[in-house]
Amino acid sequence: MESILLSALVFSPLVGILVLAFMPNTEERLLKTVGLLATLLPLAFAIITYVGFTPGNVNIQFVEQYRWIDFQIKGLPNGGDFTINYDLGVNGLTVVLLLLTAIVSTLAAAASVWIKEHWKGYFMLFLLLEIGMLGVFASQNLLLFFIFFEITLIPTFFLIGKWGYIDKEKAAYSFLVYNGLGSAILLIVFIILYMKTGTMNYTGLSSFLHQPPEVLEQMYIGDEFRFGLLIALLVALGVKLPIVPLHTWMLKVHVQAPPSIVMIHSGILLKIGAYGVYQFGIGFFPEEFRQIAFWIALLGVINLLYGAFIAFVQVDFKRVLAYSSVSHMGIVLIGLASLNGAGMQGAMFQVVSHGLISALLFFLVGLIYERTGTSLITHLGGMAKVMPITAGFLLVGGLASLGLPGMSGFVSEFMAFLGLFKEMPVLAAVGTLGIILTAVYILRAVLGMTFGETKESLLQLKEPRFVEWLPALILTALIVLIGVYPAVLSDILQLTINAMMAGKGAVV
Amino acid sequence: MSSVPLSVYLVLALILFCIGLFGALTKRNAVIVLISIELMLNAVNINLVAFAKYGINPGITGQIFSLFTITVAAAEAAVGLAILIALYRNRKTVNVDEMDIMKH
Amino acid sequence: MNPLIWIIPVLPLLSFVLLLLFGRRLKEASAHVGALLTLGSLVLSIVVLLNQWGGEPVKETLSWLTFGETTLSAGYLVNPLNALMLVIVSLVSFLVQVYSGGYMHDDDRFPIFFAYLGLFTFAMLGLVLSPNLLQLYVFWELVGVGSFLLIGYYFYKREARSAAKKAFIMTRIGDVGLFIGMILLFWQVGSFEFDEIFAAVEAGEISEGWITLTAILIFVGAIGKSGQFPLHTWLPDAMEGPTPVSALIHAATMVAAGVYLVAAMFPLFQASEAALTTVAVVGGFTAIFAATIGLAQADIKRVLAYSTVSQLGYMMLALGSSGYVAGVFHLTTHAFFKALLFLAAGSVIHAVHTQNIHEMGGLWKKMKWTAPLFLIGAMAISGVPGLSGFFSKDEILAATYADGRFGLFWIAVIAAFLTAFYMFRLFFLVFTGESRGIQEKVKESPVSMTFPMIVLGILALIGGLINTPFATYLSDFLAQNEALEIHHHETRWWIPVVATGVSLLGILMAWLVYVKKKVTRFSESAPDLHYILLNKYFIDETYDYSFVKGTRALSYFWYYIDRFVVEGLVGLVTGIVGWFSKIGSRFQNGQVQLYSSVAFAGMAILLLVVAWIGGYLT
Repeated sequence: MESILLSALVFSPLVGILVLAFMPNTEERLLKTVGLLATLLPLAFAIITYVGFTPGNVNIQFVEQYRWIDFQIKGLPNGGDFTINYDLGVNGLTVVLLLLTAIVSTLAAAASVWIKEHWKGYFMLFLLLEIGMLGVFASQNLLLFFIFFEITLIPTFFLIGKWGYIDKEKAAYSFLVYNGLGSAILLIVFIILYMKTGTMNYTGLSSFLHQPPEVLEQMYIGDEFRFGLLIALLVALGVKLPIVPLHTWMLKVHVQAPPSIVMIHSGILLKIGAYGVYQFGIGFFPEEFRQIAFWIALLGVINLLYGAFIAFVQVDFKRVLAYSSVSHMGIVLIGLASLNGAGMQGAMFQVVSHGLISALLFFLVGLIYERTGTSLITHLGGMAKVMPITAGFLLVGGLASLGLPGMSGFVSEFMAFLGLFKEMPVLAAVGTLGIILTAVYILRAVLGMTFGETKESLLQLKEPRFVEWLPALILTALIVLIGVYPAVLSDILQLTINAMMAGKGAVV
Repeated sequence: MSSVPLSVYLVLALILFCIGLFGALTKRNAVIVLISIELMLNAVNINLVAFAKYGINPGITGQIFSLFTITVAAAEAAVGLAILIALYRNRKTVNVDEMDIMKH
Repeated sequence: MNPLIWIIPVLPLLSFVLLLLFGRRLKEASAHVGALLTLGSLVLSIVVLLNQWGGEPVKETLSWLTFGETTLSAGYLVNPLNALMLVIVSLVSFLVQVYSGGYMHDDDRFPIFFAYLGLFTFAMLGLVLSPNLLQLYVFWELVGVGSFLLIGYYFYKREARSAAKKAFIMTRIGDVGLFIGMILLFWQVGSFEFDEIFAAVEAGEISEGWITLTAILIFVGAIGKSGQFPLHTWLPDAMEGPTPVSALIHAATMVAAGVYLVAAMFPLFQASEAALTTVAVVGGFTAIFAATIGLAQADIKRVLAYSTVSQLGYMMLALGSSGYVAGVFHLTTHAFFKALLFLAAGSVIHAVHTQNIHEMGGLWKKMKWTAPLFLIGAMAISGVPGLSGFFSKDEILAATYADGRFGLFWIAVIAAFLTAFYMFRLFFLVFTGESRGIQEKVKESPVSMTFPMIVLGILALIGGLINTPFATYLSDFLAQNEALEIHHHETRWWIPVVATGVSLLGILMAWLVYVKKKVTRFSESAPDLHYILLNKYFIDETYDYSFVKGTRALSYFWYYIDRFVVEGLVGLVTGIVGWFSKIGSRFQNGQVQLYSSVAFAGMAILLLVVAWIGGYLT
């Protein structure tokens, strides 16, 4: 109860915001440096949390719980006294996600060197966004989750709308409308849950909702009611994930937002959807989830194939990556829907792995765009001749994305399919078509950009300096580390997942 | 001495208010609109005074209140006219139809 | 036993990492780094092989990944088959690296080339050492990447790009089969470990149907990697890579990995007659199918590539006919003579700067070392008695016959005839007669290139002696593996006679056609057939029109669905909302008087409603 580590972690970007607030608007180098340094603080806290976390302990750790809001509504069956706590804590999954968030944020801040104007506002919003993301993963109750979730929306809206490419306003509105609707549904579900159960704490809710159906029936939480809540949750989080056909906003964002924000967006923000499905969908309604697991797996396979097919004919590399994200999120759904140890772990691996891989690829997009002013595959070509290192990283990123063994993508893909083959072999067999298609579209895009005759417009290009591709190197190293020795993740994840599987939810 | 019944005051106030309302909603000249608003306020004043004298709980409150209203109305008319003059200097018109830039 | 086994694959990996990091500074020295580290692997591999002789299999694992109640492990396993493969892989890799030091001399991306070779060798050695299917799959894909990178080494060439892409995708189609098979097997057995799978098969824990299904799926993986019909088209295209790469990857090692996979999983295949038949039929068909295409090709490397496909088919045929030893034996000898042929071909290309055999000719006198070595390779592959190919091919024919597959037996005999014919067609066109091109200064290649060829030439000459009908060393060695039931079939005396007969007949035919010109070339006598063969039965075109174009069409279909239907629906929703707000915005014309009229009317209505609800109106 005494530890304030998590609060320090979540709110540490505030330091950066305050410092930036007192700085002049015009000092480009200084602002960028401070912006980057400010992300190191949460990174340090995240590493401390990760190191201090005890993997062998199923319980939620670093708990912080304070009374926060008290209010009374008269005439309700449970007496009408309500208390909402300020509730932070981490389990094996969220500690990994926190670290991932901090790492990707730091690297995205490094990628922000390509921002051309209004650096002060940019970095302040950026750091605010980081607070939101860290908070989402650190909170242990619905209200706090929701608040932090909303905090992520607003800075993202401005970051896309102000610093993006040509059609940025449209993308920003698209983002806000879709996610606003999603979070409205989410809010309704949360409030209903709260009014019915009287608690906002994840653990409390889990244990409440895991009571026998007859007991719940007496409290007016019947079967159909729970199904309704689950479906509403899936829709709300499905927008974020995104599940086809709720994905169109995400394409616009991936194409129009600046690369550093897409790194964050694709790397972390989409993962909130996956995390939510896991934490709320499966955590609160395991039985109901099991009953519709087939449909979720089907949606996953549709996502996987749909994204892969469309990515095959895109001319803009950013769009290829956007559809590839749709496709890869299908793997998360597949893994979750299989509801066994392998599949769930595969889904969580995919969350982490895709976070790193898409961050890497979008970083490279930024690097290339900065030099060539384009991300169209047809305008690039033969880049390997003038920028061999960049091309090499692009190839590595592509191979990681298509699930090459030895890199993190393979482990997640393998485990997700391993899980699904146990439960629904036929559907899984259809899904494996996606493995081939992924190879097809990734190679088409990556080889189209790097191999072949060098375009004349590219001949003047120079290889970026070491510091410029350092973030790519770090990401590659992490991807390879997880791929070669997945136990670094699985050791910390599996107890949490096993506990979830046993339907208990962890005990504070 | 039979006094004038309350309802007559109220009918007077109603007529005044309606005239004021009609003027405020239809006149094109902003000065007339301001005057119409004053008319409506005065209708209210009549009501206040009438109720203060003949209401269920007679007392002095209504009269004091109407004094306040008159003061505030005077201040309001002053501010309104000042804005109007400023507008007139800028746009060379007092026609309310042309004062629609608030919609943007 | 030997704690240093894991060093074997790590040395080439080290070479990869070192060359990637410091290659630019090492420049020419990269070749030495790569070759020396691989030499280390070779020496250790030989030690391991010698230790295996009469020794026990070695297996060590450590935990790799845990989920639920299951722990997957990684480690290494050495049994006779693996030990043999270790030596083959590290030997050929070492020789190829020495050779490349000469062949790639002028290339400015020299260090990267050796780095890639190191990566490939690492992956291949790791594949061979894998104690379980999952680890095998991991390295299986990694060798694919090594191959992909090296095929695309001349990345600026359009053909190299498509060839690399094609190789990766075609093999991946096969890999998915292996992937599914592996997972299904896991859920049947509960483990990926070879020994546990075999134990479960032995104990009859898996039903016949599952065994057949998983075995065939695993075989699909082998089809992709070993270039068997119908996934063979990538292998000839892979010749876009540098020639030493073709020798190492696309002749001796990686393509043989499919054969190795079937051999390593042999107890599973043995348990299902249907699976064995599939293997045999696919192998036999590929053997003759590719041999016929090889007859008509004009590119020296493509002839050799189709020959490789055909010989791999032979090995599959052997395994499918329960000829475990025959398959592995042919794999070994083929590695020697085919690597030799490719290196010799590379030496020729190095000298004349063309790959078209119709522009060569008369090189016998100009290339004193290459020409005889090529002849040895050609004789070995044709099955001239006494050379290595003779014994192994003989073994395959005997196994096929003993297994009762007479149809396939005769197909194999015809394929042997075709092999002899096209190999000597190649030999005569390249080395005899008059020079048909403009090659003025043809020089013999440097020692760094001839030395590896000589080593391989010696092995191609005498390699067959490890398993002759009189001394079955290899067979006894492989039989140490207890999981296998190795059939000893008696050799019928007439089979070697027939085999020798057809191969000599093939050589004679080639001599008559291309040297004596007594018989018209069949491009003139049967132009239509020649046209079909030259175009490889139009398989590529068929795939292009069906799968490639089909996928593209489907992609566009979904893309337009996404663009117009999904986005259209979204547009419809926003459109409706927009329409409403447009109507609403008419009231917002900036006229205060309108606003207040509306407000007043609203209040009046509200009052009416309140009055009506309150009952004041009645």
